[in-house]
Amino acid sequence: MAATGEETDGRPSWLVRKIRGLLLDISGVLYNGSEGGGEVIPGSVEAVEKLKAAGYKVQFCTNEDQCTREQLVHKLARFGFKLLPTELHAPSPVARKLLQERNLRPLLLMHPGGLAEFEGMDFLNPNCVVIGGAEDQFTYERMNKAFRLLLNSDNPVLLATGCGRYYRSGSNLLLDGGPYTKALEFACDVKAEIVGKPAATFFLAALEGIHVSPEDAVMIGDDIVSDVGGAQACGIRGVQVRTGKFRPEDENHPTVKPDGYVDNLAQAVDLILKYN
Amino acid sequence: MAAKIRGVLVDLSGTIHVENTVIRGSIQALQSLRETGVSVRFVTNTTKESKETLLRRLTGIGFDIKAEEVFTSLTAARRLVDQRNLRPMLLLQPDAIEDFKGVDVDNPNAVVVGLAPDCFNYELLNKAFRLLLEGCPLIAIHKVRYYKRGDGLALGPGPFVTALEFASDVRAEVVGKPQPSFFKQALYEMGCDAQSAVMIGDDARDDVGGAEAIGIKGFLVQTGKYRDGDEHRLANPPFAVCKDFSAAVDQILTML
Ligand SMILES: [Mg+2]
Ligand SMILES: [Mg+2]
Repeated sequence: MAATGEETDGRPSWLVRKIRGLLLDISGVLYNGSEGGGEVIPGSVEAVEKLKAAGYKVQFCTNEDQCTREQLVHKLARFGFKLLPTELHAPSPVARKLLQERNLRPLLLMHPGGLAEFEGMDFLNPNCVVIGGAEDQFTYERMNKAFRLLLNSDNPVLLATGCGRYYRSGSNLLLDGGPYTKALEFACDVKAEIVGKPAATFFLAALEGIHVSPEDAVMIGDDIVSDVGGAQACGIRGVQVRTGKFRPEDENHPTVKPDGYVDNLAQAVDLILKYN
Repeated sequence: MAAKIRGVLVDLSGTIHVENTVIRGSIQALQSLRETGVSVRFVTNTTKESKETLLRRLTGIGFDIKAEEVFTSLTAARRLVDQRNLRPMLLLQPDAIEDFKGVDVDNPNAVVVGLAPDCFNYELLNKAFRLLLEGCPLIAIHKVRYYKRGDGLALGPGPFVTALEFASDVRAEVVGKPQPSFFKQALYEMGCDAQSAVMIGDDARDDVGGAEAIGIKGFLVQTGKYRDGDEHRLANPPFAVCKDFSAAVDQILTML
């Protein structure tokens, strides 16, 4: 039987129980985004290939809402990643499905690059708000429009692609949609429904797609709250990489304690291949 | 036995005036109050305009009010900035920035947020957010959710302060009403304790609830933003509910 302590054989505690599948965050784990497109995180391309070659089931779990899945696949291909749109689990398609099921007409506070995922929907007389990482679209007047729609609605519906606080773009940290979601929640006394990470439904749907149960899976991400905390809340092990938006302060986070830390995805995969 | 009243705190907008209109009887009532020798201070959450502009507006419509009697959340924020030697990034409308004249704003080490629609854009909020991540304090003039403007309701500073708090994990220090420190500072300036003071205002939560939380007797006036039943939405009923400022003053005159 394998030893359990890191002290004895170097096995990290998050690999004590065998894993069968992985959920991988994209931005901050595979590559770092920036205005010019970004750069690959060294070792990540090989790491993904090694995982797949070893037979692991992998699903890429992203809150990316500033481009379509196809565009994201192309973007990742430029860095050397060979992914299929079906391996991506992103919030906009999930939101679209929810809107159609409930017959809702959305006011989209989204980045122009991601609007194509909503193409063909009815936007006239909107009766709900969908909010994402809208960047420059977060003007005072557009926020006001969303605010008034929610305030005047008998049954206000606010869908948020994620609840991320910020992300890295080049050398800058930029506000994500989460703070703006909180602003609208506070202003109108509503509670947003999160579609993407850290919603349990989002992680569980991604795992269903690869037929892996939560206790057999690990989520690797750079966001302490959304990736790690979200996964842990539904019984998935959460490991934080020290790349992307990671900050040293994260290691003393008041509420979220990851199952493990790794310097980057490459190190995580090496550990998995060695100890799992 | 009830303490004698020695100090009166008065809200401005909605209590003695609405924009450029005097609420009927308020000029005369204020005069009667002054004749008793009781101390009077005006406490307001106004953050859109500077104290000077506000004062010009009030004297312009006939009130006898001196600059040193007006206690605004802007001036309270300014005092806080001075006391702590802060160099703030100011998210304020240009007119309100007047109240921060002379303050060093280069290489900022704090963020001050008021009602500033012109500043609530992505670029400036990002700038403020990055300062907060570096450990700068966040000072909110107040956290009002929304306000009334010409074309309807519009977002106040509260939602944007909330956004910055969430993004950076920094709790804002709120300066204006209903913060206890705001009322206490006004009391201190009058040299009056809470038991000997009253507060008259049209905002049940921020004026009356805030004042009563530290033992000041609250007088809710049914003018301005008052809506039917506001007094019942408070955890404790106000000390008094009056038709308007002049009725409140009549009652106070019997308590001196
Ligand atoms: Mg990420
Ligand atoms: Mg008022």
